[in-house]
Amino acid sequence: MKKIPLKFSIMITTVVLAAMLAGVWLALIYRENDSRVMLLPDKVMTLFPDPKPLTAFALTDHQNRVFDLASLKGKWSFLFFGFTHCPDICPTTLAILARARDNIAKSAAGAEDIQIVFISVDPNRDTAGKLKQYVTHFHATFLGVTGDDAQIGNLAGQLGAAYEVSITPGMENYPVNHAAAVFLVDPQAQYHAVFTPPLDAEVISTRFKVVRELETGNAT
Amino acid sequence: MRWRHPVFVCLILALTLVAAASEAADVSVRDAWVRETPPGMTMMAGYMELRNNTSQPQVLVAASSSDFETVMIHRTIVKNGMASMVHASQIELTPNASFIFTPGGYHLMLMSPKRTLRAGNRVDINLEFRSGLRLLVSFEVRQ
Repeated sequence: MKKIPLKFSIMITTVVLAAMLAGVWLALIYRENDSRVMLLPDKVMTLFPDPKPLTAFALTDHQNRVFDLASLKGKWSFLFFGFTHCPDICPTTLAILARARDNIAKSAAGAEDIQIVFISVDPNRDTAGKLKQYVTHFHATFLGVTGDDAQIGNLAGQLGAAYEVSITPGMENYPVNHAAAVFLVDPQAQYHAVFTPPLDAEVISTRFKVVRELETGNAT
Repeated sequence: MRWRHPVFVCLILALTLVAAASEAADVSVRDAWVRETPPGMTMMAGYMELRNNTSQPQVLVAASSSDFETVMIHRTIVKNGMASMVHASQIELTPNASFIFTPGGYHLMLMSPKRTLRAGNRVDINLEFRSGLRLLVSFEVRQ
């Protein structure tokens, strides 16, 4: 076996060390300059570079209290549109959000600054009493919200949440179609990010914790 | 090597037993469950993994249960970001393959439960196949 000349091995070591240092330096820059870049592109969460401020709307929660723009301020809100006569996707999503909330609650920052809101697009059948029974089954802290068609349409429109309610006279189980995504509104009541299916509790909680940390970091 | 060697005899016997066991059910069901819903709710969903153990397609054509007013085969689809449910009149199971009814996808829509179902309870659902095969499957209610 040939012996590698000393000069050559010093050169190799220097190059390797320089490359390692450059890697660390690039990673740091990447982190500090634009941490958002690390989260994009993402198949499950779309984070908006310029969160969109929401405008006034007026709905009512499951305890008959006003739920409006002010209700979204000071907290991170996870909003999901659905209806209680929904056998599959609504219970599935609410169960996922309940698990995600439990995961977030275990983090150092806790879950005191988040609210999970189920917005019924079917006020015809979903009364405050029914909504209360429904959402609190999944988590005691969940809020059920609904209102008249114009006000549901107002908030849904601002978030780009499509829905269709095909009320048919005499038909008890009329079809209701609704957005499958979970919308994330930040404590400044701005539409901040959206989670798209297939949803997963661990994915949602992990992504959310990063987003929250970034925003808290930016604020200070 | 002789064919009457005890090792061969045992091997053939074992293979025959395995074949017999797997042929016992044309379609087998695993992990059958129903999601517990809040009290008073009239819509539930059932999930399961069906396996066609035969070399022919098996077609699920209907489902029924004495615990519910109506049972239908449904599928949740998400189109242009909007979730909706479509009725599936039948499900064809590919030979020697599995078909999964899962949250956010295919499910048995269970309408108007006749009794209060809590996590831990069990409900029996009949599955009917085009071949005439009938399966009575016990679903576990889970949170």
